[in-house]
Amino acid sequence: MSVVESPTTRRTGGSTPHRAPGRARRTRRNRQTTGLPWLLSLPALILLAGLLGYPLVRMVVLSFQNMRLRELLSGRTPPWVGFDNYTKVLSDAEFWRVVGRTFAFTAVTVVVSVLVGLGIALLMRRVTRGVRLFMIVAMMFVWAMPQLVAAQIFRWITDSDFGVINYFIDKLPGVDYQNHSWFVNPWQGWSVITTLVVWAGIPFLAITLNAGLTQVPKELVEAATVDGASGWQTLRNITLPILKPLLIIVTTLSVIWDFGLFTQNWVLRDGHPEPQFQTLATYSYTQAFGQSRYSLGSAISVITVLLMLGVMAFYIRQMFRIGEVE
Amino acid sequence: MVATTPGAPAVRTRRRADDGAMTVGRSRAGTIAANTTGIVFGILMLFPIYWVLNTSLKPADEVLALDPTLWPHHPTLTNYLSAFKAPLFLQDMLNGLVITLLAVAGALVVGFLAALAIARFKFYGRRAIILVVLAVQLVPFIALLIPLFLMLQSVSLTNSLIGVSITYLVLILPYTVWTLRGFISVIPRELDEAALIDGCSRGQVFWRIILPLTGPGLVATSVYGFIQAWNEFIIINTLNSPAKQNLMAWLLQNQTTRGTAWGPLMAGAIITSIPVVIFFLIIQRNIATGLTAGAVKG
Repeated sequence: MSVVESPTTRRTGGSTPHRAPGRARRTRRNRQTTGLPWLLSLPALILLAGLLGYPLVRMVVLSFQNMRLRELLSGRTPPWVGFDNYTKVLSDAEFWRVVGRTFAFTAVTVVVSVLVGLGIALLMRRVTRGVRLFMIVAMMFVWAMPQLVAAQIFRWITDSDFGVINYFIDKLPGVDYQNHSWFVNPWQGWSVITTLVVWAGIPFLAITLNAGLTQVPKELVEAATVDGASGWQTLRNITLPILKPLLIIVTTLSVIWDFGLFTQNWVLRDGHPEPQFQTLATYSYTQAFGQSRYSLGSAISVITVLLMLGVMAFYIRQMFRIGEVE
Repeated sequence: MVATTPGAPAVRTRRRADDGAMTVGRSRAGTIAANTTGIVFGILMLFPIYWVLNTSLKPADEVLALDPTLWPHHPTLTNYLSAFKAPLFLQDMLNGLVITLLAVAGALVVGFLAALAIARFKFYGRRAIILVVLAVQLVPFIALLIPLFLMLQSVSLTNSLIGVSITYLVLILPYTVWTLRGFISVIPRELDEAALIDGCSRGQVFWRIILPLTGPGLVATSVYGFIQAWNEFIIINTLNSPAKQNLMAWLLQNQTTRGTAWGPLMAGAIITSIPVVIFFLIIQRNIATGLTAGAVKG
């Protein structure tokens, strides 16, 4: 690697939160050191540009063309069709059902998983040491499960013929759940998918929030108790406000993850989700690779990204603000 | 909420400050209730995983019994053997290893350089690079799958291990840069300065100080990258044919052909998960902090 002896790099920033020194001097030095750091970042930037940036642009371009199997095989430039794909997608009632479903699923799943995660995090502060350790170990195993494997596990335990869930429910008095299929009724099917996503999401949420709870000064909580605050009041007025930045971050992340739901409904429906089990991600994928409508799929992807943009921008802003990313 | 029993008198007898746990509102009955809830919760969480393990060790007739048993009555490894003997299982395992290692090694080298730039230099455009690194982490990769597929196909990199390796490299690159940045920036700058005063060159500072001190960070980051790349299946399932896929895609394929052989499938799932679980348990501490950046430190 090229060794550039720049005296500036050793002092700039050097653990001083407020950079005070002369402005003129700093700008001159900045110019001096710009070369090397850019050189160091270059390979990463090229890769990101080539395999993320370019496809992103290509996706937008594709959405204005009409790429079908014929163009794919012949390699010819697909014809331009303007906003045709968009009008087709946006005027399709099926698409709007998928959008509504994706939003509803995201809302329900995020609320449930954050609430349960917070509850478990609080519970972890209340139990004795051994129990806490057991809870952490249990959650670690769940967290470590690959998404696909987790989905396969749920496919197996909810299997209509040999699934253990049916077996247990069937044991209840007066209930006949033998050979019950969970995916005939979309509400039941979606509860299975939601349960899977919540189950897999709890460890991250609970463990992160529990780490956040350890930051709540004990003196504050004790003072509140001495002043006669109830447990609920302490939680509302002391714990939650301190936890708020972290709560916002994990909620935003959950929204981003759950909105992009693909693996879980894909696998639970054997790679061919019925219309009532499609989300934006699977819908776009099915259009593109199932029906060879690559342009239509791209248009749906563009819309999906646009729908998420607000949340993603918010997340990044929070990271900059809270993380104090200089 | 669960943990706060309103009305329970604040017992401030302070017997054994239970390592940092709240000392508020803990009555004996409350603790017992909390412990019970915690244990039930843990069991519920673990049950699906236990059930897979249980299934994978059962002989075929027990797997498909109408009255499933809580543990295998005649434990056997047949399912594991048939998973290993299944077509393409070993091939896909090898593919997965090659792809994953290539991607992780590449991401580590490229990512380390970028992380070094962000963590150790103040320069024009630094903030922009950080923004890019943070933003691309959020781009849903599935949305990019269509152009990615077309792009790699036009340069004949579909159905090849290289194409997927590069894609995975980019997939784990942002996280790698971001995490390594954190590890580098906690190394006190005074160390660099002292070494420079003692006559080290910039290069020597890198080899003798920054690199060794980032060692644990490099391990943690690469393990996380390994998990990400090992677990991926959507991209590889789209780009490559079964002979060039990894174990995750194998698990997916396995379900669509002629019904599901649950026993071998669950055995395969366990085999596939083992490296991930082990790696995950080693580095779990870093994952959460990476995702929430400064929020925890606050």
